[in-house]
Amino acid sequence: MPNWKTAIAKLHLSHLYVLAICLTGLGLFTMYNRGAFIHYTTPTWVWVYALSGAAVVLTVFTFQLPPQGNGLSLDSSVYLACIFVFGPAFSLTVLLVSSAMIFLIERKTIWWKHLINFAIYSVIIASASFTYAALGGVRGPLLDGHLSAYAGGMAVYFILNTMLIAFYYYVFYNENLYETLKGMLKDTIIAYLSTLVLALVLVILLYHNHIFGLALFLCLSVLLSYAFKRMFAMYRDIEERANRDLRTGLFNHSYFELTLEEEMRKSRSTGSSLSLAMIDIDDFKKYNDHFGHLKGDGLIVFLAELLKKECGSEEMVVSRYGGEEFTLLMPSYDTDQAKRFLDRLRKTLNNSHFEGAEIFPQGCLSFSSGIAGYRTDIHDKSELVDQADQALYYAKKQGKNMVHVYGHQSLLEQDIDFSQDVRDIEQQLNLFMYKDMETFKHSKRVFRYAVDISEVLSLDSLSKRQFTLGALIHDIGKLEIPWGILNKKEKLTPEEWEMVKWHVTWGKQMALMGDKFKDLAPYIELHHERYDGKGYPHGFKGEEIPRLCRMLTIIDSFDAMTTERPYQPTKSVEEAIVELRACAGSQFDPELTELFISYIESRQPRTTEAAV
Amino acid sequence: MVYDGIVLGLTVGLLRGGFRYGLTRFGSLRIRGGLWFPLLLLLQFVVFELNDRSSAFASFSGIFFAAVYVAGLYILWLNRRTPGFLFILGGVFLNFLVMAVNGGKMPVSLEAAKVLDPYYVHILQTGAVVTKHFLMDSATRLPFLGDIIPLSRPYPRTQVISVGDIVMNVGIFLYLQHILVPDRKRIRAQEMEAGQS
Repeated sequence: MPNWKTAIAKLHLSHLYVLAICLTGLGLFTMYNRGAFIHYTTPTWVWVYALSGAAVVLTVFTFQLPPQGNGLSLDSSVYLACIFVFGPAFSLTVLLVSSAMIFLIERKTIWWKHLINFAIYSVIIASASFTYAALGGVRGPLLDGHLSAYAGGMAVYFILNTMLIAFYYYVFYNENLYETLKGMLKDTIIAYLSTLVLALVLVILLYHNHIFGLALFLCLSVLLSYAFKRMFAMYRDIEERANRDLRTGLFNHSYFELTLEEEMRKSRSTGSSLSLAMIDIDDFKKYNDHFGHLKGDGLIVFLAELLKKECGSEEMVVSRYGGEEFTLLMPSYDTDQAKRFLDRLRKTLNNSHFEGAEIFPQGCLSFSSGIAGYRTDIHDKSELVDQADQALYYAKKQGKNMVHVYGHQSLLEQDIDFSQDVRDIEQQLNLFMYKDMETFKHSKRVFRYAVDISEVLSLDSLSKRQFTLGALIHDIGKLEIPWGILNKKEKLTPEEWEMVKWHVTWGKQMALMGDKFKDLAPYIELHHERYDGKGYPHGFKGEEIPRLCRMLTIIDSFDAMTTERPYQPTKSVEEAIVELRACAGSQFDPELTELFISYIESRQPRTTEAAV
Repeated sequence: MVYDGIVLGLTVGLLRGGFRYGLTRFGSLRIRGGLWFPLLLLLQFVVFELNDRSSAFASFSGIFFAAVYVAGLYILWLNRRTPGFLFILGGVFLNFLVMAVNGGKMPVSLEAAKVLDPYYVHILQTGAVVTKHFLMDSATRLPFLGDIIPLSRPYPRTQVISVGDIVMNVGIFLYLQHILVPDRKRIRAQEMEAGQS
């Protein structure tokens, strides 16, 4: 509903703006011109033809400037020179004739845009003439005594032109006013300033060499425009090559990253929706293995062509993310719309014939897709990509050939998935029952602490899943340590101690083996890092260690302190808290330590009560 | 004046597009109803001749002129999809318009005619010999569409032309460019298609 209202407001604003500009423009035109052209003699008409012809040619030769492609035409120099040499009435006649010619030439442009353009120019020319006259400028040759008048006229021309056009874009294309202005100024100011100086040169030529002078000027500016045009075409060509994936002709990974950032920024400022879809061809490896890489490449190109065809009419950025993965950046699509679009796309692909498609388990070409919608609390583009990736992984896990929106599985489903994951990890931990019972029990206790802590920290479902599963799996690397060392009663030798330290790295490698627990690797690898950077394996320090890993370190140590072991003193909870506080800032993150301690303390009375 | 556009168009076109391409394209040039143009031109000359000889014919020569022009405009209209032809059509129409409202003759301004041979100016002033032109005065309608633009040094030819002539020549120039210069975008599209299949 609010969107509706802003849309109506925008509509009104743009109508009002057009109306105001047109009325002002036509009013100023009538005031300054008064139909003077009715009484022109034939030589004056020759001048009108010559100058409007020049203006038309220069408008036709509008060229673009890199990098944004802002258009610039040198016709302003003709109008300015007209103002200085012939005065406002004549300049406006030239404008009228050239606008009529352009209206006839560029018939594809809708009529009211021509009218707005005419009105904007009328306003600019009238105001610049007024300023020029007010500052003591006289029409005629270039006089060095009147420099301030020239400067004033040109300044007004420039400022009004920029403002009116920027506001036009603001009203019609809903662009940020400040950004548009900044962009226009940054790219075009030098070229624009040269237009102004060229106007003064044209004054001299016009006054002394008449039409011949104008012809010379025209030659020069047309050649310049042409050169700029060529340069821009070359620039675009090279840019295109840098941004495209060679095999498929889609955008490449780096271009995608750039646009993603840009689009996220746009969505943040305008509040419009933005969806990111990740597409992965199902069982591509199977196809590749069966038919060879050449055929596999053919399949990738086939999907790329389909994407190009289906998304070409929409404002989407389709890129090849890598291998058989593609991304669709969909501005102004919310996740539901994106899902509808992708499901349609998926069906189209299912229905298209491709050589060898029968070897797929689905019996046809298919892809799985994950969609993530942009929310304002997502600050980093990698977060959005991660979510889409998670959703894609989920879609694959559900049997492929489907589209899944991140966070759209039901709570029950999430719970089931979660308990499935927990069971999977416990299966692996069961080996510890034989090897080291303590580690088994320790892992399960740490897991329970982590579940509680994630409530305290009110983590979102994804972080909660990672944190708790990470806690459960964190010591998995110890499976690699020989029984004898794990169960040794005496003090470990330095060599043995080194080996124990390796468990974090081995554990990480185990997690990285499968897709499922890849994202838990940091918890396994970094749970022995210390806040002061004296931990292992990397010696990361402070914020370099992810926040939840720092939390895991605290839980891990706390549990180790308070666990009963035969023949060893056990710390009471109070003693452990003292110990934690003592190490806060060196071994532990002080803030998180306090958090954990308050959690333990709040839990403590409950357990004693229960014991009683 | 018709030649200027052709000469300029050919020169620039051949330079931009290359001689080989230009000449082959020139060979396969097609204009709808193209054969009618020389015929119409011939008709015009015939009318001139008859005009001089018989005064009876002169009375309805105006209508005849109009008919020839309208036929010419119609053929141009048939070709309107070809780039440049709308310009040619517009230019011819502007000339036709000013002649139509001035009794079938082209008004020439005295200021502009000063660049011409004084003898010719004299003929115009006295109206001694019947021509397609006449000297404009305050009674002339739409004077700004008449022959008011003087061409002289440094332009290689000395003549007086109308704004319609210029528009027509722009059209001829654009048409020749279209014929003689290969379209980069089209070629690239063709190459891409060829590369894919």
